[in-house]
Parts: sequence; C-alpha cells; structure tokens
Amino acid sequence: MTSLFAYLDPGSGSMILQIIAGGLAAVAVTAKLYWNRLLRFLHIKKDEPEATQPEAGSPADSA
Amino acid sequence: MPTPAETSASTGLEPGSFRDPESRVFYADERVYRALSADGLKDFEALEQSGLLGDDRIVATERAQNGAALRGLLVHEPAGVLQHERIPFVSYPYEWTFSMLKDAALVQLDLLLAALDKDLVLKDSTPYNVQFRGARPVFVDVGSFERLREGEPWIGYRQFCMLYLYPLMLQALKGVDFHPWLRGSIDGITPAQMRGVLSFRDRFRKGVFTNVFLHAKLEQRYADRGGEVKQEVKRAGFKKELLVANVRKMRKVVGRLEWSPPEGVWTAYGERNSYTDDDARRKDDFVREVATSRSWDLVWDIGCNNGRYSRIAAEGAGTVVAVDADQGPVELLYRDLRTEGNEQILPLTMNLADPSPGLGWRGLERRPLAERGRPDLVLALALVHHVAISANVPVKEFVDWLASLGSALVIEFPTREDPMVQKLLAPKRDGLHPDYELEYFERVLGEAFEVERSERLESGTRVLYFARPKRG
Repeated sequence: MTSLFAYLDPGSGSMILQIIAGGLAAVAVTAKLYWNRLLRFLHIKKDEPEATQPEAGSPADSA
Repeated sequence: MPTPAETSASTGLEPGSFRDPESRVFYADERVYRALSADGLKDFEALEQSGLLGDDRIVATERAQNGAALRGLLVHEPAGVLQHERIPFVSYPYEWTFSMLKDAALVQLDLLLAALDKDLVLKDSTPYNVQFRGARPVFVDVGSFERLREGEPWIGYRQFCMLYLYPLMLQALKGVDFHPWLRGSIDGITPAQMRGVLSFRDRFRKGVFTNVFLHAKLEQRYADRGGEVKQEVKRAGFKKELLVANVRKMRKVVGRLEWSPPEGVWTAYGERNSYTDDDARRKDDFVREVATSRSWDLVWDIGCNNGRYSRIAAEGAGTVVAVDADQGPVELLYRDLRTEGNEQILPLTMNLADPSPGLGWRGLERRPLAERGRPDLVLALALVHHVAISANVPVKEFVDWLASLGSALVIEFPTREDPMVQKLLAPKRDGLHPDYELEYFERVLGEAFEVERSERLESGTRVLYFARPKRG
C-alpha cells in the first residue's frame, strides 16, 4: 500500500473544498495551506518531491 | 466455519464488485462470499476489533474457511474469505423513493462517523453499498471499511455528492425525479451538471453554495492537478477533526432535505382504509386465498399502488417486492413500512413498460429486474389496462412476458366497459386496441398459463384470475 489514497479518485477540487468549507475546524488548516502557497510563491520554500513513496508511520506499512 | 465451494467460485462472481482491488464478492451454493486481499484482511481485522461489525446496520458477516483455491478473484492470492447474510432481493438507487435514498445516505454518514470514532473510515460513498431488507437499509459493503490514514481528507466526499446529495437536492429543491439521471449515469451527477440545474436563488439554500457552486468552481480550477493538491492537503495537516466536521455538516444538510408527493397522491393513498365496498372485499379474499394457499418465497406485486395487496400477499410470503411506476404512493408506502419496522415488503418505483435494464461495465454491473430473483407468485392487479392502453404494449406481449417469469399469477382484467379503461381509451381514436377484449385476453392467458380459477367481481367490469405456468 504505497499511495496515500484508496482506489477512488477523491477529486482535487473536492479535496480543497473540504479544507475551505470545514468552518472553524478548518481555519488553521486553511491558513497553513495558503501560507505554504505564499512561501512557495516567494520562493522561500521549495516544492517537496511528489511523494509516491511509503507514508512513514502509516498502519498499512507498519503492519 | 462455512467453506465456499471451490469450483463454483469463479463462475459465481458478482459482476458489480470489481472496482475495489482489495475485495471481491462471489456466490457459491446460494451463499454470498467476499474474498479479501492481504490489505483488505488487515482492514477487516481492524473492523472486527473496533466492535462495529456487530452493528445491526451492517450486513451480518462471519469469516469463512480460507479459500486458497479461489484463484483469479484478485490480483494476488486472497488472504481471507468472509461470508455475508444474503439480502432477499437486490435493488438499486434509481428504483428507490426519495426517503429510501435519504435513509441510505444517513446510514452511510452515520456509519462513517461511527467508523471515524474508531480510527476507521469508509473508502467510498456509493448508494450501491446499501441494500434494503424490506424497509430497513442495510450497509452491505464490509470491504469499504479501512484504517484511517493520517492527512487524508474524506475520499468519498465527491462520490457522496454525485450519488446521494445531488440526486436528493434535485428532488427536494427542484421537484425533479432523480431516477432517470441515476439510471442513465452510474457515477451520478457531476458538480458542474448540478450547478447547471440550480438557479441563482438556490445558492442561498443550506449547503448548496458550498457543495454545489464552490465545489464545481474548485473542480474546474484544479482539474489535472491531482498529485499536487494531494501533497498540499497533506502538508497543510488535514486532521481527523476536520474530516469529522465535514461529515457532520453533510449530515445536517442531508437531514434537512425534504420531499413529499403531491396532495392528490396523499388522498388516493389514504383511501386504502376507507375502501369498503363489496368488490374490494372480494378482491381481498381472492388474493388472500392464493397468498395463503402455500408459502411463497418471493412475491412481486407489480402496479402495487398503496401496497394494499402487497400487505395481503405478505401474510403468506417470505419477501414481497412492491413495484409501482408512480413514486408518490411508493414513497408513502415506504414511510409507513419504515414506521412499522417492516422487513418483509420492499417498495420500489419502476415503470414496468420500461423496466431497469442491465447497466454499467458490459451491462452486467447492475442487473435487470428479472435476473435478481425469479418470483414464485406475481400479482398484476389493475395493471394490464395501463400497460396495454397507456404504454401501447400488446396484451399478448404482456401475458407472454408474465409467463416468461415462470411463476404463478394473480391477474385482474378490467373490461372495456370499466370506467378506468374508458378513461384511458377516451383520448384515443375509436377502434384502437382491438386486442383489449375479455375474450381475447382469456384466450392468450389460457395459451400461456393453466387458469385455475377466475371470478367476476360484482360490478361486472373486473375479472380476477389465478393461473399457474404451463409445464414443459
């Protein structure tokens, strides 16, 4: 089990929506999402490589 | 511990269960089994440990003997096999009424919340994972439970919108039946399609702006950026609390969606109890006598209307499938059956002149009505004139179709003089439907069936028949 998601394509717009629309619970996550984008836009932070490698600590791998 | 028969496993594959690579449903000896991959088995073990498996909203499931012989079911050798309780009759969302789809949606969401509480999640959100035992929704896809992985949003959110939320909104907000759309599209309604259907005013209704308009907009903007967004979401630290909050919000939105049949339907439905004339009593007796003459496993009541005869048939049957083309009375019947906790009568809405076909990949994923279980007895009461006159199906065609089911039959023939038949004939040219005559009907019925008994009701314009299929 190497990929993050299951067989179903969650849809990229649908994922972003869940962050924006999460209300109070989502404020911190939304802020972080756009903060990361800003840093990348200002070239302060580099893009991390596409992680198709195993997720560290995920139960699928440790089991 | 039950053992699936080795030889029949490959032939008994459920053709609608192949999308999830971790589990596959198959049939052997009239039983339902599920083969699990190694990962699927670990997920199942987590489900067992959570204690959720015993929940009565989830199909009864036990481990079956390891099916090492079941080669070819999954990419790798199956690591485990489960056996499921069999649902008496399979039905699909495009045959359910509004409240049935809504109740299935609520079961889906409630189980997801219960799963999240145990650090599990449902990997998809399709109504095809729910079946009805009578008026009770049962979640049948045990393979949908998996261990929650950190940083993961609600994977099934988009699918939930497309197959549950939008169809329900279509009915509740626009008064448009969702059935043709779900039947025409196995994946449901896309966010962009749903946006196209709604008006400016609709944006102000609860849940519409976010789940339809914003959703469609974001989908457009982020098209083809799947991998990138996946990383972004993860890095931003998507937490379980956020997932739970999103599911709770969705539950509120779905819970508020309401639809009710037009007033005329309520009036006609209510007449069930005040219907006391002699004809009705004799018709009741006729049906009851046949229904209780032996124990019928599966009865179809086609053209069930308010379910009066489905209820009588249920006195002598295992399961009754009550079908009507009009969603209204079936919706009201479902509500009553739900209140009663009825697990015997399954109400469905479908036009018998255009019944559910085989759909999906190779036309096999969703099966036609007759392939989901042949009835032992069919009730076709106050139906033949609608099929023959309104839908222009020749009388002989209809009788031959009934004979092809191979079941016993109770059929009512309203003669040309009957007021209802007159009403259907009125807009038509004189002399049309020459095959709609009592004598001709009796001839074709006698050719296809052995007629055991018949009775002309007091009013003289309605005749009842009990017939058995011809042998050989």
